[in-house]
Amino acid sequence: MPQPVVELDRVGKTYYTGDVETPVLFDLSFSIVPGEFVAIVGGSGSGKTTLLNLMGLLDRPTAGVIRVEGREVSHLDELGRARMRRDRLGFIFQFHYLLPEFTVLENALMPCRMRGREFEKSREARMRELLTYVGLEEKLNVRPPQLSGGQQQRVAVVRSLANDPAVVFADEPTGNLDSKSGRMVFDLMKRLSRESGTAFIMVTHDDNFALEADRVIRIRDGRIQAPPGRHEGTELAVAAPEA
Amino acid sequence: MTTYFIRSVAFRHLRYSVGQSLLTIGVVGISVLLIIYLRTIIGGTQTRIVQNTTGAIPHITVEPPERTPVGAWQLANLGIDPDTLYVGEVVNLPKARESIEDWRLWLPSLDGADPAVTAVSPIVTGQAFMNRGSRRQSVRLAGVIPERHNGIVEIEKSLVSGRFIGMSPGDIVLGRKLATDFGLKLRDKVRLVGPEGLTLNFTVAGIYNTGFGQVDDGQVFVTLRDGQSLLELGGSISSFGIKLADLYAAENIARRIAPGLPFKVRSWVVDNPNLFVTLASQGQTRDLILIMTTIASGFGIGSILVMVVTSKYREIGILKAMGATPGEIQSIFVLEGLLLAFLGCLAGVPLGVVLLKALAAIRSVGPDGRVGSPFLIEIDPVLLVGASLVAIVTGAIASYFPARRAGQVDPIQVIRGS
Ligand SMILES: Nc1ncnc2c1ncn2[C@@H]1O[C@H](COP(=O)(O)OP(=O)(O)OP(=O)(O)O)[C@@H](O)[C@H]1O
Ligand SMILES: [Mg+2]
Repeated sequence: MPQPVVELDRVGKTYYTGDVETPVLFDLSFSIVPGEFVAIVGGSGSGKTTLLNLMGLLDRPTAGVIRVEGREVSHLDELGRARMRRDRLGFIFQFHYLLPEFTVLENALMPCRMRGREFEKSREARMRELLTYVGLEEKLNVRPPQLSGGQQQRVAVVRSLANDPAVVFADEPTGNLDSKSGRMVFDLMKRLSRESGTAFIMVTHDDNFALEADRVIRIRDGRIQAPPGRHEGTELAVAAPEA
Repeated sequence: MTTYFIRSVAFRHLRYSVGQSLLTIGVVGISVLLIIYLRTIIGGTQTRIVQNTTGAIPHITVEPPERTPVGAWQLANLGIDPDTLYVGEVVNLPKARESIEDWRLWLPSLDGADPAVTAVSPIVTGQAFMNRGSRRQSVRLAGVIPERHNGIVEIEKSLVSGRFIGMSPGDIVLGRKLATDFGLKLRDKVRLVGPEGLTLNFTVAGIYNTGFGQVDDGQVFVTLRDGQSLLELGGSISSFGIKLADLYAAENIARRIAPGLPFKVRSWVVDNPNLFVTLASQGQTRDLILIMTTIASGFGIGSILVMVVTSKYREIGILKAMGATPGEIQSIFVLEGLLLAFLGCLAGVPLGVVLLKALAAIRSVGPDGRVGSPFLIEIDPVLLVGASLVAIVTGAIASYFPARRAGQVDPIQVIRGS
């Protein structure tokens, strides 16, 4: 079995706001293998975004250990986590938040730009290729405000792959799109995952998308629920008690 | 320290909101312009006021100490014979001033008293009457060595006709107004009557117009010897006048040389206390205006950056999620502030120089009838650099706080859409 890109070992998260403790996630253990396409589903407030933020090194767990590509990251400081995100992780959010001052191509290359001009240059051909692949070859040099919502989100999908990440985290990437655009973006993510061998972990409310994932992690009240039927994934995912 | 990423984002922000950027650059430019303009104009005015005040007078005067006569009745206070009774009327005894007899001995040591000394002139002064025909007028008589006294007030350069340096015994040099009043031309004769009634005849050797009221009105110059004769001073002089290279050093130099001399040493500063109050309050007003404009330009930069940071809150959050560090984000906005300030200087400094050059080119007829510039303008490169530095430091300070806030944006909050 290949080394997992992300590994959670008894991870828990409790928010502390003043005197108030809000336990959100409890004792989560699972791992994601390279190239895997995982859907995280669950009711509102169940802790999906919290989980994604922990795996994406945007937040720190209050219990347990997280490893990214075999490296323990739970105790990295802010700078270390920023470097790790920049170099090894990709992100897609519900809102694309492209920078209006930069062209589509420049936006797609933004994570590379942070690593310097040379690196950006070295990735430009690949980004052109991907933007063409998602049907934006005509739009390389226009600015984001001139694109439709679906087009902008496609740019964001390409941007998430700019640094050739080990894994891409997507929090409801289709949540803000109409069903046709949403379907298009989802199909793109799946195809790109398959072709680039990049793992995708996607939070979604849409059961149709979840059904098409390699594996579904269902969260309920901060714990993993056994996936129903044929979507039983790895041994870790089934480790949770049967519903 | 900046990187390609920091620079490109900062440049794009400024370029994308060109209007805002230009406005801020304008505000900074105006503040730089004001600093340069006000400092130069007011500095020039002050220099001119000081020059007008000191141009015709010595920077330091060395004269015998005043003697205050003491009445015998006053000696009682000193404990001398307290029982004596004095009968009579109490009068105010006039103060008396001695003359300097051995001035030739002191002259070399005054010449070398300080490297800043440019001229030392032995002078006899007193009142005299000038007579010609039926006209009679009181004048201030100065007996001088022309070669030396020209270093105190430049008569030679201001001559309308005749000469000053090289005047001989029996010659008189006087201001144009006095000459006109008496209908005097070169080589005309005029008579001076001393305070003790002694009368001497003089020939007009030079007529001048310095532009300084003190010497142009009611003042006449004769040779030192003639002055001593008219005032019946024998070989003595009334005072030494000293001119310095740096007139602001007068008070310090006066204090330093005084202990070594048996005379009273006064600088022009002591004689013109009001001038200094005026100059100081003028300077304070100027500084207040400058502080205000600097603060205004700081607020200009600060507020545009607060606006940019607020409106870019989400983009900042996403950049941070994608791996930009707080330091990088902060640098972006500090760089923007510095760029705005720098571009402001780039606009303000040349504009200030052009404005001052234009003002310096203006010519008008002054009160003395000469054509000259109404402004004394010297463009000081140190000032140009200084004004730019003030603007850039202001920009750095003003951008620091919004920049720090930008660096601290929490990507999690942005993602949650709150
Ligand atoms: N900073 C915080 N402080 C305290 N509680 C928080 C904080 N962030 C999230 N929570 C709580 O944690 C729980 C899980 O939130 P989370 O956003 O992970 O849910 P979610 O599954 O993503 O929900 P949704 O489907 O609505 O996006 C919620 O009850 C939320 O109120
Ligand atoms: Mg969520």
